[in-house]
Amino acid sequence: MRPHDLTLRALLTPTILCMAAACTSTQAPEPVQQPAQAFEVAVPGCTQSVRLMPIPAAEGVGAFWMASTEVTWDMYDAFVFAMDRAEGEADPVDAYTRPSKPYILMDRGFGHKNYPVISVSTKGAAEYCKWLSAKTGYRFRLPTEAEWMHAARAGQAGEWGFAGGQEKLTDHAWYFANAMDEEDFRLETRSVGLKAANAYGLHDMHGNACEWTLAADGSFVAKGGSFKEKPEALMISARRANDAALNATDPQIPKSVWWLADGGFVGFRVVCDGH
Amino acid sequence: MPCVVGRMASPPAFGTDFGTTTMTETNPSTYERRDVIKAGAMATAALAVGNAFAQEKQAEPAQPKPKLPPIKVGLLGCGGRGTGAAFDALQADSGVVIHAIGDILGDRVKSCRTNLETSVEYKDRVKIDDREFIGFEALDRMLATDIEVILLATPPAFRPTQVVKSIDAGKHVFAEKPFGVDVPGALQIQAAGLKAKEKNLSLMSGFCWRSSLPERAVYEQIHKGAIGNIRTIYATYNGSPNASFARKDGQTDMEWQVRNWFHFLWLGGDHIVEQACHSVDKLNWAMNNQTPLRCWAVGGRAQRADGVGNIYDHFGVTYEYKGGVRSFLQARQWENCPTDNTDYVYGEKGTAFINGWGPSHVIKGESANWVYDGPSKNMYVHEHEEMFAGIRSGKVRNDTEWAVQSTLMAIMGRMAAYTGEVITWEKLLTSTEVLGPAVPAMGEVAVTPVPRPGYTKFS
Repeated sequence: MRPHDLTLRALLTPTILCMAAACTSTQAPEPVQQPAQAFEVAVPGCTQSVRLMPIPAAEGVGAFWMASTEVTWDMYDAFVFAMDRAEGEADPVDAYTRPSKPYILMDRGFGHKNYPVISVSTKGAAEYCKWLSAKTGYRFRLPTEAEWMHAARAGQAGEWGFAGGQEKLTDHAWYFANAMDEEDFRLETRSVGLKAANAYGLHDMHGNACEWTLAADGSFVAKGGSFKEKPEALMISARRANDAALNATDPQIPKSVWWLADGGFVGFRVVCDGH
Repeated sequence: MPCVVGRMASPPAFGTDFGTTTMTETNPSTYERRDVIKAGAMATAALAVGNAFAQEKQAEPAQPKPKLPPIKVGLLGCGGRGTGAAFDALQADSGVVIHAIGDILGDRVKSCRTNLETSVEYKDRVKIDDREFIGFEALDRMLATDIEVILLATPPAFRPTQVVKSIDAGKHVFAEKPFGVDVPGALQIQAAGLKAKEKNLSLMSGFCWRSSLPERAVYEQIHKGAIGNIRTIYATYNGSPNASFARKDGQTDMEWQVRNWFHFLWLGGDHIVEQACHSVDKLNWAMNNQTPLRCWAVGGRAQRADGVGNIYDHFGVTYEYKGGVRSFLQARQWENCPTDNTDYVYGEKGTAFINGWGPSHVIKGESANWVYDGPSKNMYVHEHEEMFAGIRSGKVRNDTEWAVQSTLMAIMGRMAAYTGEVITWEKLLTSTEVLGPAVPAMGEVAVTPVPRPGYTKFS
């Protein structure tokens, strides 16, 4: 497939949000086959916006928008600490549930502002999408695995979403070979968006935090590999199951359903279906 | 600068005074000097990554454990950590039977029992029968049963009395950290620990990093001289606040405070004592249990000025040692901020970086660097493995000396921050301040004012 060529067009501000069919009608739009433009949605309670890149339809995958970066701590803190809520305001019943306060230090000391959220369970990722939808009026959700793979390829064939293959990986990804902090020799995440985007305008699809997606069988799988992994784990077909090892050392019983004591490399990004 | 991954061999990696050091306790020989790289740290240390999802290797999968003779265990404190400790004990030793449980609060006992009795893996070794005890009398009733081991995981305020009575009753003890919230309480546990030695009873602490294999390896390196004499330590325990729960109709002061025990000074001792004590303990570990001469500190309530409870949300502490050595602790509980839990140990010949959550266990030496590449185990289970192995062999583990000192050092930091005074070790030990009611009971419990440096007095 030819790489989508609309991603660098004018970026619309949140106040004049407009997507193909969405801005002229109060009716729910029909499924969009070819989202026209990128747009931004301000995340409530923080100063950041989700930049949504149009991802064209492909065989077995409809068109949708995908966030240009992984969800950051800034965006997730607003949700966890209810920074979108006025004092005394209550959350709507049954719309979403906010995570518990994290017991351990979930950013692992790697960095926080503009760094990708990590240690997040599938429940945390899914509820975040509900929260963001309820707050903004847009339909956010986690990508399916097929959508994620399609978006990660960005028109390329094979296991890498950029030209030149694995030899060019360091230009596009934070992974074990380049994510070491020289001071303390620790593999760490990095601010989102520092590495080159793919042809759809998506950063960090390979590496940094690996990302929760919904597989065809209904299970969650993490895609893209992470800062601490070797290239094979970053390949587009690679996947990491949602298993008990991700929270084995939570010292509490019942274990947290929101935070992963051993998942300090798993985050997520959102996709959007429009209004 | 070369980087040595894992066990070191000749030629010496750390200079002449360190060349014979090995790590046979934790590093299998297969890692012996596996990678020595010419180039800089980036490519080098990357080779420390042993598998796809963990920088440090998980220990070999446990072999099926032989069925051991039963050991009856009682759990006092049925919250999340206590229930977790019961599961850790069940996992650690195939003979462990959960024989009794107890808590001040009935709903905690019920939920804990349900978790244990519905465990597919362990329900056959959960035999509580009618031995569930609720209220402040739960301790005495549990000690009257024929349990051999008691797990103490209630809020720390109750720990000294529990340890003393348990040792007097002839029980082996696992006591969560800290070992008390005030000086008299910690000294009570110290005395009980001496008695435990005389009786050959375990007194195992929940200072869990002492049971973590990577931490053991790096502190062993430090003690063997990998960084030379320690000049300075900087430790961070910068986290976010614990949850709090609104008061419900009908709850007494005591019940509401116990359900929010993190936030009340008398119950938890403030977060420097009940959470950051891990960092204080590692600082104490690095210093080989050397007693600090004196302590300065700052602290306050920057974010939780109007919040529940009466504890601070940040501390900065300086511990001064003989020879001009200083160690620094920064601990905070702030939301919407970066977090960090690292220990930086600076020596005359190198620096150690220790972070259990990252993880990072690294020593940068004068001529070479060392990165831990050995196995890692779940430290919460491992501490129980060691306790039960000790009970079975008769070589029991007794953590009293350093666990009491780490607790006292945390209390020292808190008192220096609360009063604004410079607290010497000798002065600390004269403290007679006992936090909380003399005889805890359901009912009214006053909330003491938030301490004010310069005005709050040492006592």
